[in-house]
Amino acid sequence: EELKFASFTPPFHTINASVIEKLNADLSAATNGDLTVRGYHGGELGAGPAEQYIRVLQGAADMSWGLPGYTSSQFGKTMISELPGAIPEDMPGYEALWRAYDKHLSQEFPGTKPLALWTSEPNIFIMRNKVIRTPADLAGLKIRVAGTTAAEVAKALGATPVQMPASQIYNAMQTGLIDGVITGASTLTDFKLDEVADALTLGAPLGRLAFYTVLNRGTYDGLSKDQKAALDAASGAGLSKSAEDAWLETATAALKIARADSANKVIELTDAEKASFAEAVSGVVEAYVDSVDGAATQAAMQGK
Amino acid sequence: MLSVIRKLADGLIALSAAIGALGLIVEVIILLADVIGRAFGAPIYGSQDMITMTMVIVVFGAMALCDREGGHISVDLFERSYPALLNRLIDIFSAVLGAVIFVGIAYAVNESAKLSVMLNLSTNLLRLPKAWFQNGLSIFALLTAAGMALRAIELTLSGRDIRKGDTAKGDTA
Amino acid sequence: MSASMIGFIGILVMFALLILRVPVALTMFSVGFVGITILDSSRSAMSLLASETFTLASSPELVVIPLFILMGNVASATGMSRKLYDAAYAVIGQLRGGLASATVIGCGGFAALSGSSVASALTMGKVALGQMDRFKYNTKLSTGVVAAGGTLGILIPPSTGFVIFAILTEQSIGRLFLAGVLPGIMLLLLFILVITVICWFRPEFGPAGPATSWRNKGKALLGAGPIVSVILLTIGGIYSGLFSPVEASAVGAGVVILVGFFTRTLSVKALWLAARDSVVTTATVMLILIAAHMINPFMALSHIPTAVGELLSGMGLGVTGTLILILAIYLVLGCFLEGFAMLVLTLPIFFPIIMALGIDPIWFGVLTVLTLEMGLISPPVGINVFIVKSVAPNVPLGDIFRGVLPFWLMMVLAVALLMFFPQIVLFLPNTMLG
Ligand code: NA
Ligand code: NA
Repeated sequence: EELKFASFTPPFHTINASVIEKLNADLSAATNGDLTVRGYHGGELGAGPAEQYIRVLQGAADMSWGLPGYTSSQFGKTMISELPGAIPEDMPGYEALWRAYDKHLSQEFPGTKPLALWTSEPNIFIMRNKVIRTPADLAGLKIRVAGTTAAEVAKALGATPVQMPASQIYNAMQTGLIDGVITGASTLTDFKLDEVADALTLGAPLGRLAFYTVLNRGTYDGLSKDQKAALDAASGAGLSKSAEDAWLETATAALKIARADSANKVIELTDAEKASFAEAVSGVVEAYVDSVDGAATQAAMQGK
Repeated sequence: MLSVIRKLADGLIALSAAIGALGLIVEVIILLADVIGRAFGAPIYGSQDMITMTMVIVVFGAMALCDREGGHISVDLFERSYPALLNRLIDIFSAVLGAVIFVGIAYAVNESAKLSVMLNLSTNLLRLPKAWFQNGLSIFALLTAAGMALRAIELTLSGRDIRKGDTAKGDTA
Repeated sequence: MSASMIGFIGILVMFALLILRVPVALTMFSVGFVGITILDSSRSAMSLLASETFTLASSPELVVIPLFILMGNVASATGMSRKLYDAAYAVIGQLRGGLASATVIGCGGFAALSGSSVASALTMGKVALGQMDRFKYNTKLSTGVVAAGGTLGILIPPSTGFVIFAILTEQSIGRLFLAGVLPGIMLLLLFILVITVICWFRPEFGPAGPATSWRNKGKALLGAGPIVSVILLTIGGIYSGLFSPVEASAVGAGVVILVGFFTRTLSVKALWLAARDSVVTTATVMLILIAAHMINPFMALSHIPTAVGELLSGMGLGVTGTLILILAIYLVLGCFLEGFAMLVLTLPIFFPIIMALGIDPIWFGVLTVLTLEMGLISPPVGINVFIVKSVAPNVPLGDIFRGVLPFWLMMVLAVALLMFFPQIVLFLPNTMLG
């Protein structure tokens, strides 16, 4: 049996080797080629990253990956993992997510079996013509945001949050429509932002992005006992770690390229500078956790 | 009887298109206000949410009127070389097919709307429920389907093609 | 039966239904839906029908379509289009086909503010077609000019085509944008050349007007001031970062409306009629775009692109052979696939072959986008031809396809020129970006 994995990104994207091909290799090996995975890239099985979860739930694809942030209303508690400082900086995001999954997050994934849950590299400031060292440097700057919490973070820092599709960021930065974005370093290569950005600020607590890979529940229930066992073994923390490590690697590589380019200013904040950002955004984190009644979820993520 | 239904249908079709046209004007206002506000550091919060959801109304509001006026494009390269009966059969077939497809769209989108409710889906900033707009799309699609079905009946029973009537701007060449 | 075979049969059925005059969108919906049902399941087809419909109908990028249509309609309702063409007529109307050439230049200018060929053809169609009618231009020529001229929208930056190409192939967007400039201007000149040749042999296609005095030329130009200012303001606003190319459509429409109210050339009723007409055209265009997206998953499930790719890399052709073959495949695919859908399906397969042969990716990108443009105007599924048809419902589709043919041939010539002289593509990006 061949399982269809729908992806909205091109085949060279980080997801392919770390999740799609890995799943295919592990399942093929464990079932002697009885169960395989085939990737459909670039939105071949349907356009729009916001529809990824529905696509699996309705069975247009057996599996898919996506960002809870695109449909944040569905993932109220999962989104806590994206908040600045919600998970300690040195703690892997996938560990935090899986720790909270059974008790707190599973109801946000109806009709599917999550195969992997992970988070990205930390968000940074990716700017053009503006250098950020303190929250005051952001006053009045137009910053592209993806969702509610990011918008609140930008506002708390004194910036003007601007909503726009990811595909338009490049052009908007080039013309000065926005001064920058708050997102992970991997977008430097994924969305070609390295061509238009010239100042990066690392180390501010700006949160990170969360991701999921899910399998249609009916597809899973229809598998043989051996196939299910193979799938259980190939998914979960191991697959999530593979994805998270790959994301971090992509980000590290993108940052290395950015540092090598003398046209770029790369700023590493000191601990004191970090603290001023942390203080500015702390209210946002508390307000969000309260709004989703997520104190226990956050504690579970932190392993408390 | 048929003419009464036609009158009623035309009324609903006009109303639906008016909602779409209103949506379009609203789009212009929101986008302009957003651009101007942003220049002064105060863009409209959630403008993209409003723009994308209003867009659904703009795209589907006039779908029925579009069919009513013969706006759906076909490859008319060989129309004149086909016998009249074949052309009429094709017109009836297309109208029936269109009705089936639009019922399909209405049904499929409505099924998705149920999932949207289950998953609590809404736009990211303003939390506008996705199901509202999916249901709106379904209603517009059903009206389009009804218009197409009525056209098929008229074509079959009386041979009248509403698209070639006085108000039609369709291809009469 | 193999998946590829089913895909192939699906394409044939699509051709048959189109020739039988079944509306284009309905044809693509049916073939896509049935194809997905056979290759996967009806559950999957239903799901895609729902998600593709809603995703495209709520796409933040496609909002330019209704807004630019509105801008074109209001420009016509207020008489701005009329004045624009009065000015063009006064300046170059005494040349045979002068207005057609002016329209091509207008298309080039509009391409500088729109990233989409569909939006370009729609707006220019709304503005130009009625005006060329007024001056007794042949409808084959006028619709052909707009359909072909509109395709410049994705060659001259900003361009959605280049953005999609860049993201699918990890290439530089900036480099591709620059690379499109000279080929865009070259194609624009080739279009003017072919208009001149057509009207040389068939003067009645673009009748020459009377010579006008400098005074009258000046007066006519002044009359075109408002609409020209709107266009310049919109382009200026994009490049100075005041608004995005998407927002430019709303700014353009909004400013045209305000100018209309201010100069009392637009009544509330006229605006309402323009808006109503705009949403009808929007329905036509968007339904075709949505339906085209149902073909995409069907083709992906048929694995035809993969099969073609394997065949291609197994043939061991050289650089030129492979390049010509790939472009030929794009030409054929362009006959029944929507352009961007085609990129998504094929680039992941073709691009590695191109890289393995050491072909310059930027050069290949421009050739690809140019070939994509040809697909936009080639029968039977020529999206830009449908667009023009939606704006000029009384012109038979066959006439538009015939009218487009000379321009299509110029595109073949342009592809050949770029194949022989890659410098035309690479000069700007290499000198400006190193
Ligand atoms: Na353009
Ligand atoms: Na075509």
